[in-house]
Amino acid sequence: MSTFDADGHRLTEVEPDVWALADTGDESVPARVLANRSLLAQISTDNTLTQLRNVAGMPGAVAPALCMPDGHQGYGFPVGGVAAFDAEDGCISPGGVGFDINCGVRMLTTTLTYDDVKGREAALVDALYDAVPCGLGGGGVHDGTHADLDAALERGIDWCVEEGYAVPADRRHCEDEGQRLDADLDAVSKKARDRGASQMGSLGSGNHFLEVQRVTDVYDDDTAAAFGLAEDQVVVLIHCGSRGLGHQICSDYLRRIEQEHPDFLASLPNKDLAAAPAGSELAASYYGAMCAAINFAWVNRQLITHAVRETFADVFDAPDWEALGMDLLYDVSHNIAKRETHAVVETEDGYSLAGDGERVERELFVHRKGATRAFPAGHPEVPAAYREVGQPVIIPGSMGAGSYVLRGGSQSLGRTFGSTAHGAGRLMSRTQAKDEYQGGDVQDALEADDDIHVKAASGATIAEEAPGVYKDIDDVVDVSAGLGVGDPVVRTYPVCNVKG
Amino acid sequence: MTFALREHTADIAVAAAADSLGGVFGAVADGMAAAMIDDDVPATGAQLTVSERAESREAALYDYLTRLLYERDVQGVLPVDNAATVDEPTGGGDWRVTASARGVPLDAVHARDLKAVTYSEMQLTPPGGPTHAEAGTPPDAVREHPDDWAAYVVFDV
Repeated sequence: MSTFDADGHRLTEVEPDVWALADTGDESVPARVLANRSLLAQISTDNTLTQLRNVAGMPGAVAPALCMPDGHQGYGFPVGGVAAFDAEDGCISPGGVGFDINCGVRMLTTTLTYDDVKGREAALVDALYDAVPCGLGGGGVHDGTHADLDAALERGIDWCVEEGYAVPADRRHCEDEGQRLDADLDAVSKKARDRGASQMGSLGSGNHFLEVQRVTDVYDDDTAAAFGLAEDQVVVLIHCGSRGLGHQICSDYLRRIEQEHPDFLASLPNKDLAAAPAGSELAASYYGAMCAAINFAWVNRQLITHAVRETFADVFDAPDWEALGMDLLYDVSHNIAKRETHAVVETEDGYSLAGDGERVERELFVHRKGATRAFPAGHPEVPAAYREVGQPVIIPGSMGAGSYVLRGGSQSLGRTFGSTAHGAGRLMSRTQAKDEYQGGDVQDALEADDDIHVKAASGATIAEEAPGVYKDIDDVVDVSAGLGVGDPVVRTYPVCNVKG
Repeated sequence: MTFALREHTADIAVAAAADSLGGVFGAVADGMAAAMIDDDVPATGAQLTVSERAESREAALYDYLTRLLYERDVQGVLPVDNAATVDEPTGGGDWRVTASARGVPLDAVHARDLKAVTYSEMQLTPPGGPTHAEAGTPPDAVREHPDDWAAYVVFDV
């Protein structure tokens, strides 16, 4: 078997593109990295493997702890980390979910083709930039009261439908129909509410973006048709999360764990992994607050969707957005923990996804930190519209490389708790990116060489998000497809990009 | 007091040093502001004051910086020119932070979001450590004098 050594870590390729991290005795469960050798070499350049090892040492972990092919160093969990913990004997980790709760991405279809947009890119990107608040300050699409905020936290997309920001079909094309019923407003602090009230419908900064794209390749005609996608079609991608509200909730609960469960915190491999023991009052409280933040993030992306639809109707002189066929294809979450039932094998130390023994259904807290749910065809939680083909999985790439739409693969439940990658994955630090790139130069080159029109609140953000700072998204998707956890349906290429 | 921005794959870190504990808190806060803005900071804005209490030095630093992000979002200002004093607990009480900053209106600058303060790799080291000439470890990389406090904080971007 092939091996790979990196900075104190030895990995063995136990099957093609599946690498087992050597056991040091500190792990509760095995750790696996899904990657080809080239991606593994990139993944191993920072603390990703140490962070994965730490996750594998958490109490109640169900085997294995996983790093997806786009993985890189985060805080606590690696980004691209997938870990499941028993909902009775394990834990739930605010550190594992991260600050940007339900950071995620959605895709809108249109009836436009690239020819319809060509020549109007500058007007379109300017109009989108004006319509969607981004960066710091600037408010949100909805100038909300605290009562609006509470309704959004509790009801998610349902509130948007009532307020005219969504149509019922949007709800049907969103994970959990855009509403986590476990949301608990009493578990959300006043500070979190204060931060969220002025940010309802705002993009933020960092790697968040709004991108107009065109479909360049179709790999699976039948599934593409089921998703409403065809070659040369124009689509829109929206990537953002729960803004200051989610950030504050995570901060609040990290501190509460420190104060209320110091012994449990001390038992964890690393303080960044701060977790509440399953069954504790704090675990229930965090789950309720996290679900409220999940609802808020869906509302946030929906409000931006509304602004995008109105803007397209204006720019393309349509009577309304419906005339442009701007339907929500799907909305996927990247940073969440979720109660899910999985078929696992009981072992001496707990439970495992792998093994030949009798399978039992266990409720788990599945943490996806920079990873996407990728349920296969037939799974009851896949929306009815896509149940025959599998859940749409949107994998955004850099603003110069394009993105993919996959469908949940037939092997995903057995390999990855029904998960795959969430993007290309960073390769270069933000400070190094700013040393190597100038925002204006990147912007000019993308327009001159690739006909990609970029507008951002900050030139530094363009430099930090330059195409060269990301891994090769084709490699990431190849690994996902080869392992059967996510199968390519279409590839898209950027036309216009708005960044915070 | 001084600070420097340090590399982190997806996020950003601030290394800071000062001749007092309060000074190093303020230096990290100035580094946090610098991570959000690349342009010159305009000489506008009103003073804001905050105070926090926490059970440890590190928790006090975490709460202080998180509070500044809260004020940024709620008041719509970027806290710059930060100054802080930190009082040690007496008789088993909390560490107390009293701080001020100049809140530059966000509509006067092109600023980028910085999501949160993390405990990841956080270090807050008392005087006595090596200077930057003697060690390259993150918190000490900006420590100019052995009697300085040093800090290293990773922020989620």
